[in-house]
Parts: sequence; structure tokens; C-alpha cells
Amino acid sequence: MIEINGLAKKFAVANPKKLSEQEKKDPRLKGRFFHSVEDVSFSCEAGQVLGLLGPNGAGKTTTLRMLSTAIKPSAGSLMVKGVDVLANPIQARRKLGFLSGSTGLYGRLSGRENISYFGRLHGVSEDDIGKRIDELADLLDMHSFLDRRCEGYSTGMKQKVSIARAVIHQPEAVILDEPTTGLDIMATQTVLNFIRSLKKQGIPVIFSTHHLDEVDELCDSVTVIDKGRTRFNGSLADFKGLSTGSMHESFMATLTEQGAH
Amino acid sequence: MWLVFRKELMELLRDRKTLFFMIAMPILLFPLIIGVVGFFTSKAMDEAQSKVLKYSIVGAQYAPQIADALRESDDFKLIETTADEELVAAIRAETLDFALRIPDNYAKPLLEGGQAKVELVLNDAGLNMIQQRLNKIIDEEIARKRKQAFSELGLADLQQDALLEPVVIDKQDVADKRENWGEKVGGLVPYILFILCLQGAMYPATDMGAGEKERGTLETLLISPIERHHLVLGKFFTIALAGVTSALITVASMAIWGLVLGQGMAITFVSEFMASIGAIDFVLMFLMLIPIAAIFASLLLSLSVYARSFKEAQSYMGAVVFVVIMPIILATLPGVDLDGGWAWVPITNVALAIKELIKGTMDYYALIAIFASTVAIAGAFIAFSIFWFNREKVLFR
Repeated sequence: MIEINGLAKKFAVANPKKLSEQEKKDPRLKGRFFHSVEDVSFSCEAGQVLGLLGPNGAGKTTTLRMLSTAIKPSAGSLMVKGVDVLANPIQARRKLGFLSGSTGLYGRLSGRENISYFGRLHGVSEDDIGKRIDELADLLDMHSFLDRRCEGYSTGMKQKVSIARAVIHQPEAVILDEPTTGLDIMATQTVLNFIRSLKKQGIPVIFSTHHLDEVDELCDSVTVIDKGRTRFNGSLADFKGLSTGSMHESFMATLTEQGAH
Repeated sequence: MWLVFRKELMELLRDRKTLFFMIAMPILLFPLIIGVVGFFTSKAMDEAQSKVLKYSIVGAQYAPQIADALRESDDFKLIETTADEELVAAIRAETLDFALRIPDNYAKPLLEGGQAKVELVLNDAGLNMIQQRLNKIIDEEIARKRKQAFSELGLADLQQDALLEPVVIDKQDVADKRENWGEKVGGLVPYILFILCLQGAMYPATDMGAGEKERGTLETLLISPIERHHLVLGKFFTIALAGVTSALITVASMAIWGLVLGQGMAITFVSEFMASIGAIDFVLMFLMLIPIAAIFASLLLSLSVYARSFKEAQSYMGAVVFVVIMPIILATLPGVDLDGGWAWVPITNVALAIKELIKGTMDYYALIAIFASTVAIAGAFIAFSIFWFNREKVLFR
């Protein structure tokens, strides 16, 4: 299970003159610091899939990056499967599988080599890496291109390999930052099926997305973040109940309702 | 750490661009340059040597010996010009290669007429062998005139020699051939080696730091449970290996092709010189590449890690070349020797050591200073890389 409480992150603004008009108007800019994330809390139980929603620049990626240990929060606490991420980052990394939204592959290595490199970095044995890659290749439909160099891959192929790379060490919790962005319908379906298989294994999954239909299809709970703050936290049914119309309306409702405060 | 090293090396070896710069270029390009330059120089020399020279002579009647010798030789062709004033114009117009003006006192015996000043008019810009070829004839004339004068004076052989050269300095050099030549080429060898080493390390360094940021693989790498210093050291060793390999391949290629192309007299000189250096010094010389590669690799890696993008890294690397040339040039300055303070100046000390090793006058205790200062510098850069990898800024700057 993953638990996030009162998370906050501020970045020092190197050159305030370079900020755009819109950034200057953002209430999160305070003096020489930009408070990208001000107060985010949510939790995800074992076997649950949590959909993280929010407009661009809301602080979703920053939140997930703090969870992944890539950056350190200025305040708040992060727990993954009983491990305090801040106190034991290396232990937390072993338990987490993280797919960054801006991830890349080593172009001159094949998909298989990319995945096994990270498997080795995680200390997985050669035998297990081989077995696990075969398994993942079945799940993610990667057999046809796995032994070719990555530089020639399509967006979908790259994303599948990146996902396989993120879970090669059999993490106990998985975080995916916009895993379906830019993918075609078939590849998207493969990724969604993969998330479903993780859920079946009882692994908590957090994924951020802009596609509400994916949330509807997969998620047990929903968290909406806007301007660095949690705006909604609850089950999918509660989220849908926010409006009588479509999920888009529910989403808009979370933003306006809180904005009025 | 070796995990990172192995993977980086594999990636490097799969990159055609790197392989081209590291291996193909030194193997093919250097012989090509040497070959082309050699071919054209020797062709031009041959031409200057064997070309039939068109000449004109004024006052031939005073020096019939010269006039005859020139006329009889196949290498010279007489062009008759009427007026003395036209000579310069004719040479400019290239209808004439040179002209001689013989003074009237030439005909008289030496003791009577005094020194004869023969004027050689020619266009001396550019490669020509006119004077060298004329000297063969003139030298005979000098000998003839001397002999005539000496016999007139009735001087014995002993007196003749003494008169020609009253004092002779017999130079006895305690420096052997090796030390002598070592001083001359010793400054050049480190220069070539270092630049090649730097060049070879540059591309992989850019790729492994800034390139990793640009491709988006760095974030994933940093959240894997590997210690930062393992990551940095793995990359560091790959870059250092690339630098050393590149330098060695180029040097080997130059040596082999130099031997192949430079057959003849040069080859005995080169092989004698090489043989005099001795195995230990030779091995030490190449071991000297290790401190250099360590400094370069750590410097380049820290710049590459610091840079935001591939492009930014490349512009830093350009500046590095100038920074590195400075200490190498210092080492070639007279008076800068491998003792006292200089032994502690990084890069300069290695350049000096290589020179000393070639000369055969190496003070092996200086190795302590060399390795100590190298470890300090390389260690500082590696520490910076690790420090930077530990900061969030490495990802978002």
C-alpha cells in the first residue's frame, strides 16, 4: 500500500524575470520560490488502482517524482509498503516500479538488453531476468521487436519496453506517469490490460492520465490535483456522483467547487 | 560498477560514429595525410632536382671552366641573351631559371685578383635547387683556385690545412643520441598523445552524461537502487578506456604507417632511436597515459553531467581543448623541468615525464608527485560528478 500525507515541494526560481505572464499570476509563486506542490495527500490499498487526474501543470508529475525518490519533498511523508521513502530511499526503490512520463531507452541497445540492464541494476539474477522478460513479452506483446535496436521503435514499442523495464524487478507497488499518452488504440489496450494483470496480483497501481474513459474502465479510486493541492479523494463511484452528467462534468466540478473556496 | 561499465562499453561499441572517430579515422586518415603530403613533397623535390635549368652567363670569357662545365652538363641549358639588363625580366618571365655574372678579376690567379664575387641572379621564392646544383661546379672551381694559389706560395699540406681552418672546435657531446633527440621530439609526443586521448574521450563523455539526460534515461537510472558513486565510476572507467584506446590506436597506426611509408634511411634512425629507449621506459611512457586519461575522463564527465543538453556539453568540451593545451605548452618551454614544483602541476608533469622517459633521464621518484596530483585532481572531479548526481538539479535545471 502507498500512503502520501501533506506532501509539498517548492523549487527555487533561478531567474524570476524569465517567468511567463501566466506563471507570474499563479498563486503558487511566492517570493523566490515556486510551490509546485503545496498539499497533496492520498493513499492506495493493495490490489487497488488509483487514477491521478488534474490539468497540465497541476503538480501530478512532481508528486509522482517525489514518490519515485527522484526528487525530495520539502514537507510531508511518503510510505510504500511500510517503508518510509524519505528515510530509506534505496529500500523504497526496490519496492517501487516507476515509469516516468519523459522516459527514454538506450537506442543502441535492443529492448531485451535495455530491460535486462535495469534488471541487473536491481540485482535480479540472470535466470530470473530471462524468465521475467519472456513473461512480460507475452503480457505486453513484445516478441516481434524485442531483439531489435530501440532506435527504430515506434512510440508504442518504446512505451511497452519502458513499462517492462519498470517492473522487471517485480515491484510491490507500481507508479505510471501518463502511460498511455501518445499511444494508438491497440497499444493503449495492451497497457490497460497489463495494469489489470498487476491489479489481479494484488499490486497497488497509481497512474496519472488525461483520459477519463481509462479511469472509468480501471480505477477503484480517483484523486484530483489542481494547483498543487488535492481537490478530490474518493472512490470511483463518489467521483461519478459529483455530477449527474458525464465524468468530464464531475472532473470540472472538482476544479470549480474547490476554486470557489 | 562493472555492470554500468559493461553496458556503457557495449553501447559505445555499437555506435558507428564513435567507432569511426576512434578507430577508422586514425587508421585510415593519418596514413592518407602522411601519404599525400609525402607524395607531393617527393614529387616536387624530384622535379626541382631533375629539371633542366635554363641559364645565361655574363662574362663567360673570364671563367671558361664554369662556362664549359655548365655547357657539358645535361642538367643545364644555355639561353643566349644579348643584354645584361634583360636578365631580370627574363627570370621573372620564367624564360630563364638563373643567370651568372662573372667579374673580370675571376680570370686572374687568386693571389693577384683577390676574391671573385660571382653574382647569381634567380627567383628564390618557392622550392628550387639551383644553388645546390651550381655548388657542385663552383666547389670544384674553389678547390682548383686554392690549389693553384697554395702551390704558388709553396705551402706544405700541413700549412694548407692550418691556413684554411686555423682553429677547429671538436665538439664532444656527453648527451648521447637518445638524450639529444629526446629533447627535440620529447615535447611533441605528449602533445599528440594527450590531444588524441582527449579527442577519444570527448564523444563518449558527452553521450554518457548530457546524452543520457537528453534521451530521458537518466531519471530511470537514478531511481534504480544503485549507489551514485558506482554509477559515476562505471561511466568514468568507460570514458578513460575510450581515451586511452583511441590514443593508442592512433599512435600505433602512425608508427606502423610511418615505418611502411618512410622506408629507407629514416627507418634505421627510427628503429635505432626506439631500441635505445628500453622496454621499461617504453612501458612507463604508455602507463603515463593512465593519469592523463583519468584527469580527462573525470573532467569531461563532470562537465557532461553538469551540462543541460548535448549541445551545451559540446561547447564546454571545445573550451576544454584550449585549457588542456596550456599545460602541455608549458612543458615544452625551456627551463621547465620535472623537479620541484613542476612535478606537481597536473598534465604538465606527465608531459615532462614522457619527455624525460624518451631522453632516458627520468627521476623515478617524480612518479609519486605525478600520481598524487593526478589522484587529487581526478578525485575532485569524480567527487563533483557524484555530488551533482545526488542533486535534483541534475534532472531539472
